[in-house]
Amino acid sequence: MSKKYDTPLLDELEKGPWPSFVKEIKKAAKKSERAADELGQVEKSYKTKRGYWKHGGIVGVLGYGSGVIGRYSSLPEEFPGVAHFHTVRINQPSGWFYTTKALREMCDMWDKYGSGLTNMHGSTGDMILLGTNTESLEPIFAEFSSRGWDLGGSGSAMRTPSCCVGPGRCEWANIDTLDINYALTQEFQDELHRPSFAYKFKIKTAGCAVDCIAAIARADLSIIGTWKGDIKIDQAEVKNYAKNGMDINAEIVDMCPTGCMSYDGKKLKIEDEDCNRCMHCIAKMTKALRPGDERGATLLIGSKAPIVVGAMLSWVVVPFIKLEPPYQELKDLIRKILEWWDENGKARERIGEVIEHKGMRSFLEYVGLPPVPQMIKEPRRDPFFFWAEKDLK
Amino acid sequence: MEKEEIKQKIYELLEKSKGKKKLKEKDVIKAISEETGVDKDTVKKALREMIDVGKVMYSYSGGASSVEIPSEEYLKEKGLL
Repeated sequence: MSKKYDTPLLDELEKGPWPSFVKEIKKAAKKSERAADELGQVEKSYKTKRGYWKHGGIVGVLGYGSGVIGRYSSLPEEFPGVAHFHTVRINQPSGWFYTTKALREMCDMWDKYGSGLTNMHGSTGDMILLGTNTESLEPIFAEFSSRGWDLGGSGSAMRTPSCCVGPGRCEWANIDTLDINYALTQEFQDELHRPSFAYKFKIKTAGCAVDCIAAIARADLSIIGTWKGDIKIDQAEVKNYAKNGMDINAEIVDMCPTGCMSYDGKKLKIEDEDCNRCMHCIAKMTKALRPGDERGATLLIGSKAPIVVGAMLSWVVVPFIKLEPPYQELKDLIRKILEWWDENGKARERIGEVIEHKGMRSFLEYVGLPPVPQMIKEPRRDPFFFWAEKDLK
Repeated sequence: MEKEEIKQKIYELLEKSKGKKKLKEKDVIKAISEETGVDKDTVKKALREMIDVGKVMYSYSGGASSVEIPSEEYLKEKGLL
């Protein structure tokens, strides 16, 4: 297809060493009318400083309320290729592991029914297919599901759970993030596909406190792998790190957020009862330090990006939970959490916001979690206790 | 109460709120359960059956979802009319 529009403003975004979405859309526009008209419409937006996308409405596949986000151009005569430009979310495999065969199949299907443009991956975690029309939605769903794919979450639903690569590639994983993620995805199928909540609910599982998936900042329920007991130290390997040029005091001891480490030039010591399991030392001295053997997770509640109120970080509600298949305790707890939110949340209110105005006491009492000092709201600053009237007598 | 009667009540509620208030699935279930005295699970099942055949559909606006009666135009697009 020959070039359809001049795009001097968008062309500016191709300059520089970094990847450019313009470059990718231009590539797709060589064979897709939709991608070509998208370039035209976006260029017009840059010129007029106005957006021309309409959003929402009844668009989806029969029986599902999630997975398709309706998007329309408000200039359909001028840019007919994007008159409909719906987004389709595909539930990603745990840890985003694909075979090249699966990716090729997916791209072929998307070239057939959509613009060919994808977003790998959206911030929720889904594989996002950008730009198709209403008539193509059912055929897309049929083709994808015949190959074992399913739609992801959108709207007021459980969003597609996501996790870090965990034990698939990472030696620091304290839990099997991939299996937990898969188990939760299967358990909450109804909540994922049929939006019945006040707003979105995200679950993200990180294998350790390094939190590569940023669960603590982005998930309504953050599951973060941790351990109980002492960090295991191999003093011979500590010596090797020092011999190979690591400044252990500057890079490890002084960087410890709780100041629980000391090094006298010969031996590394850790006061484990003061350790908050941040993973910094273990991640830096992989050969010398290992987490203890009793592995599990910390559960945190309530983080979100800034929409109704400002950005919020997760709040510890379960300091340590063993996570082993079939994860029944975790599943039951999530159902209780959802029930409380459902009873108390107003439209477009995330669970963290409901906890802010209803209070953590109300939440903990309903879900049946005892308040404990480890329920830290903001790390290393304000561990809290609270008492009921009857406790004060 | 027969399931068909519950479905009729759901339909009437959605028709009444059309263009006035967007109702979440839970709003519908709660309202019909309170009105009829039928338990929420039964109302939910009736609503889901209506959704499965396209009599009621999910809609989406500003990141939040609701349920409503689809337009004839939409049902034609879906091949349901």
